[in-house]
Amino acid sequence: MNPLRRLFSWKVRGVRWVEIIGVVLVAAMVFSVYLAKTAAAREGARIDQLEREIAENAQRVRLLKAEAAQLEQPGRLEALSRAAGLGPVDVRRQADGRPLETLKPTGDQPHAVVLAAPTPPTPAETEVEAPPSATPADTKAEAPQ
Amino acid sequence: MSVHEPPHSAYRPAPGFGMRRLPSWRWLAELVWRLEHAFERAKASNRPEEDTRVRIFVIMAVFAVVFGCLALRASWSAVFAPSAVAGSAASPHGLARADLVDRDGRLLAANITHYGLYIDPAEVWDRRSAFDQIRRALPRVSDRKLRRVLWGERRLVVLNGLTPAERRAVHALALGGVSFEPEDKRVYPLGGSGAHVIGRTDNTGSKGLSGAEKQFDAEIREAGARGAAYPISIDLRVQGVLENELARAAEEAGAKGAAGIVADVQTGEVLGMASWPADQSLNRAAAAHYEMGSVFKSITVAAGIDTGQADMNTLFDASQALVIGNRRIKDFHAQNRIMTLEEVYIHSSNIGTSQLALDLGPERMRDYFTRFGLLDRWALAATPRRPREWSNTTLASLSFGYGIMVTPAHMAQAMGAMVNGGRLIPLTLRRGGDPKAQPRQVISEETSVAMLDLMRRNVVRGSGTRADAPGLRVGGKTGSANKLVGGRYDASHAIGTFAGVFPTDGPLNARRYSVLILIDEPSSYPKTGGFVAAPAVGRIADRIAPFVGVERRGDRWATADGQKIPQADDPLKATQ
Repeated sequence: MNPLRRLFSWKVRGVRWVEIIGVVLVAAMVFSVYLAKTAAAREGARIDQLEREIAENAQRVRLLKAEAAQLEQPGRLEALSRAAGLGPVDVRRQADGRPLETLKPTGDQPHAVVLAAPTPPTPAETEVEAPPSATPADTKAEAPQ
Repeated sequence: MSVHEPPHSAYRPAPGFGMRRLPSWRWLAELVWRLEHAFERAKASNRPEEDTRVRIFVIMAVFAVVFGCLALRASWSAVFAPSAVAGSAASPHGLARADLVDRDGRLLAANITHYGLYIDPAEVWDRRSAFDQIRRALPRVSDRKLRRVLWGERRLVVLNGLTPAERRAVHALALGGVSFEPEDKRVYPLGGSGAHVIGRTDNTGSKGLSGAEKQFDAEIREAGARGAAYPISIDLRVQGVLENELARAAEEAGAKGAAGIVADVQTGEVLGMASWPADQSLNRAAAAHYEMGSVFKSITVAAGIDTGQADMNTLFDASQALVIGNRRIKDFHAQNRIMTLEEVYIHSSNIGTSQLALDLGPERMRDYFTRFGLLDRWALAATPRRPREWSNTTLASLSFGYGIMVTPAHMAQAMGAMVNGGRLIPLTLRRGGDPKAQPRQVISEETSVAMLDLMRRNVVRGSGTRADAPGLRVGGKTGSANKLVGGRYDASHAIGTFAGVFPTDGPLNARRYSVLILIDEPSSYPKTGGFVAAPAVGRIADRIAPFVGVERRGDRWATADGQKIPQADDPLKATQ
């Protein structure tokens, strides 16, 4: 009797070990399938719940977008702008970034680097402000010509 | 010995062998009989064990193959098949109808879940109280309908299209027998804005009935199934400006109606289309016909230049009325002198363009009207009312915009071809233009350049000066016509039009936009296009230029901020 046949013929209390092992394996498989299905059902329910929530949220987002679009109607915005005194900017007051080049400081005369805070002027050097009651003529006399 | 070998001593013929049957049936019956009696045959031949093992082996092999296939298939499904979530459709965010958005994704129309209110009277305890409470929470519900359902016998719908807020209000009453069922409803959040372009669907939101909803019905539903939005060519900002300025121009002129179109001449995309009054179902921009008057002089002049019949220096005698048969054709702004083609155009001389049309003849005039698409209908424009015959007097009328009725969309499309290098590109609401459209070369590029120059000159020193916008190099042509009332052209029922384009400089394939404004029956005076329509075109160009990316720049006629540059060779005076 070869070892394989002897293994298959090995019995305990008249029952073959192979059959016992087979029954145990089958029982384990059945139980594991049950566990897997239970877990899958739980996950499926969770997924369904998440999907429902996503759908509800998506619906809310769509509703909010529609409400935002309603509030942003061009006609409504223009009416509000006109009421607020806003309007298209005059063409003479419009500019893009290109003129900034002409305003850039030249490389020949860099700005002086301030190393220390300037000394505050002495009281004698401080320009005397015109009193609130000063006449326009007084003020004019102080203005540079 | 094989199990399939016929038995010898134990052989008995299969039942029914003696009967006449089909050969295939006989073969099957014999096979079954042999299988049934194989064990007897094996036993008879003293090899029963071997026979049993063979049969067991065959059965096991069959089971092994079957279960092996099942296991392989299950493994493949578990490992390689795409994971599909139970209960999901083709797209988890699929809709019956896609959101309609403008070219930059701004919402124009959407399917929003609304709710139907149902009541089962058998579950309502106190009907009188339920009636009062529902009426308070939902004032728009019909008394009669609510009463009929509450005192009825079975569950019925009371009201469709409840908004989520209304649903919440009714739900908060906690009444028995009240239930809600979700239903899709098409919502247009912009209200009347863009209504003519966007169109409408039926009550259920499943079928487009007008506008873009109808034109792109199948594609919108297909995009909805994918969960994507469907964009159209409209720019909501441009549409808003167009509607506001059109309404302003129409109200200032005391007009009966008005229409406006802004289009990209290089792609044929409609960026804005408006019809005033907005609450009327008639879309005057695409479905109303008009004799538009002098804007047709652009067609006549383009045909004259393109055929070589005329150039800028060709002279036309407009010193006296042109007589054709018993008809006298005169100029509205009579110069009573000999004029060049440029002068004919910018002074809008009926005599000059009539002479040019007569020189071109009926064949060439019809050819160019056909080329510019003025005799055909297409997706965005209704069928024009064409001239029945092409006699000399008809040619003269056609040359300055009488005798043919087209929609503003026809004229906007023709204007586009005139200023984009001569290619006729169908106007479309499809973003990016119609991919199936085959642009036709209807005039040469040289003619297109000449027309751009003429249009600019007309705005700088011709009848269209009110259309100018600082730095935007606007060009265009005015049109003024009287309407046929009771068989006669009545000056009190006029149409004022301005067909403009900006910018007029730069290469032929540069970004360029046409703006057409038509004022129907202005009651103010003057009623001409230069007064009632041209200012609106200038304002529209001024306001939409930043949206469409047109920079302000000076040209030979004016600086970037609109200051006129004196011209040494300018013998002409502007005519308003």
